[in-house]
Amino acid sequence: MTFVKRYLIPRLIQYVLVIWLGITVVFLIPRITPNDPVMRMIDQMQARGSTLEPGTMDAIIRDLTQMYGLEGSWLDQYWAFWGRLFRGDLGVSFFQFPTRVNKLIFTAMPWTLGLLLTTTAITWTLGNIIGGLAGYYSRKGWSRILDAVAMVVRPLPYYIFAFMLLLIFAYVVRWFPITGGASLGAIPTFTWAFIKDVLWHSALPAISLIVLGGAVTFQTMKLLVQNINAENFVQYAKLGGVKENRIVGKYVIRNALLPQITGLALGLGQIFSGALITEIVYGYPGLGMLLYRAIVNGDYNLIMGITIFSIFGITTAILIVDLTYPLFDPRVRYT
Amino acid sequence: MNETILRTEGLKTFYILDVFGTQKVVKAVNNINLDIRTNEVYGIAGESGCGKTTLLKALAAAIEPPLRLVDGYIFYYVDGKPVDVSTLSPEAKRKLRLDYIAYVPQGSMSALNPVIKLKETYRDFIESHVSGKTKEETVAMAEQHITELGLPPKILEAYPHQLSGGMRQRVTIALAALMKPAIIIADEPTTALDVVVQRGVVQLLMDIQKKLKNTIILVTHDMGVQANIADRVGIMYAGKIVEESTTEKIYGDPQHPYTKFLINSLPQFGDKSPRQSVPGSPPSLIDLPSGCAFHPRCPHAMGICAEQTPELITLDTDHKVACWLVGGQHGKTA
Repeated sequence: MTFVKRYLIPRLIQYVLVIWLGITVVFLIPRITPNDPVMRMIDQMQARGSTLEPGTMDAIIRDLTQMYGLEGSWLDQYWAFWGRLFRGDLGVSFFQFPTRVNKLIFTAMPWTLGLLLTTTAITWTLGNIIGGLAGYYSRKGWSRILDAVAMVVRPLPYYIFAFMLLLIFAYVVRWFPITGGASLGAIPTFTWAFIKDVLWHSALPAISLIVLGGAVTFQTMKLLVQNINAENFVQYAKLGGVKENRIVGKYVIRNALLPQITGLALGLGQIFSGALITEIVYGYPGLGMLLYRAIVNGDYNLIMGITIFSIFGITTAILIVDLTYPLFDPRVRYT
Repeated sequence: MNETILRTEGLKTFYILDVFGTQKVVKAVNNINLDIRTNEVYGIAGESGCGKTTLLKALAAAIEPPLRLVDGYIFYYVDGKPVDVSTLSPEAKRKLRLDYIAYVPQGSMSALNPVIKLKETYRDFIESHVSGKTKEETVAMAEQHITELGLPPKILEAYPHQLSGGMRQRVTIALAALMKPAIIIADEPTTALDVVVQRGVVQLLMDIQKKLKNTIILVTHDMGVQANIADRVGIMYAGKIVEESTTEKIYGDPQHPYTKFLINSLPQFGDKSPRQSVPGSPPSLIDLPSGCAFHPRCPHAMGICAEQTPELITLDTDHKVACWLVGGQHGKTA
């Protein structure tokens, strides 16, 4: 019971506070930037050549201001904003008017979640297994070769690596499509043909993320394992004649995974902000692209919508790590 | 006299390090001949950095790069027959560990896996050496073993960080005795413990020795502990044994000037004169002084000491010393 009173409740209060603070900052930032979405809309209309009477223009400005929820002082807007938020209403997008923000986000989210959940899981699993073995057998030839490869791959700037893959496999040899999340005009259904089409389109983005992310996980895990391998308890188990597979699994990897588990949870939390560069390079219709366009266009409601998901993702991931960590490391106890 | 249980012949193990392209050789164990017998406590003493721990690694057949066996032999007497350790396969060595030779680590603070319960550590040790037991039988065996040694069986349910330093050291000693090994090697088992706990730890080690009638090789720089429990003592200096004898002779009639310094530094009842320590500091094992490695610190150094290395000569039964002052190698004794 002391756990609930002394740890769980304060921790949950902290969780709610962080979310509130994050959302408030998200509410304020677009209003501080010099983008005025209403004036931009008017500019766009005029750019298209429509001449507006001063009276009509005033009416349009008033209507737009009302529709965007930009009426009154910031405080009024703030209260109205929370009211809508609790109803699950994130408002309408300014620039894909009158599509609702909810709809835009839920269209982009499956793409991002599908790509990033799979690649994060594969990257983490492969990186840790290979890195762990390479760390334990660090004197073997294959381990040194892998280490050298990781050393070359890891410092490559992501966008250059992504472009290289695109150039080679989509332009020169044409194994994979240049752009998009699925073929144009393909209708999302649960058919094998559509799934195959999606997998084919996501292959290059996935490979780019797995190779570069995997190199980082590999190197971290290899170092962790090498350090733990030199620890007294590993040496002692070896001198006690404990079988090698037990030492690798229960003594070395088990201890080296502790920081990696934290890393995985934080990585999963960041999924909601998308993978911007991947999505730009491969023209992938995910959350990163959506957020980028929202920022460029000053689309307050959309920025807020995506960021709110992101804030929830990261704070929840950290909360879950905090609460489950004692299961992995018995030295951490909340009383 | 008891039979030999472990013997080394001209043992040389060096750390060969590659420092920015230049090779550095750390002569940590430099030509050591040991003849350790059944049912005895053999103490190895010397300052920090004289190669004690490296010698133990070699004796435990745990020579791993950068440490290398440069020359000489280590023989285990398994069932009375000598076995050259360097000819054993890794799996054969693994099977001898804990069964024939067990190891008690220095600084047990970090010698136990921090994320598993002691029960699990016990299981790993037992199941690696005994096959065909169920999980329950293994845990029961661990409990019985712990109880026999007078430790509370409930510690099996604890994680290492929940135990005191003394209890953790006792657990590592208990684990070492698990398979009733012929030899237990203990590397500074009392370091970092306060004197009261030290006594308990040493007592446990001695109880085990009395029960199993096996051999204990005890490394410590604590000459007081050596005097209390060792049957024979080897004094180590700069990778060599410089004097070896029964405990009575080492403490009653030390011959080597270095041994005399070590013993004079011990406090004694009734003697209030200030204790003297060994002047200077131990030599670098990379760049040893010529001749006798102790001569730069020795108050009795003569011309020959800087030129030739003295051999370890036998003075009388069970008393060997390597010093030009002693045994007619160069005239009179000190």
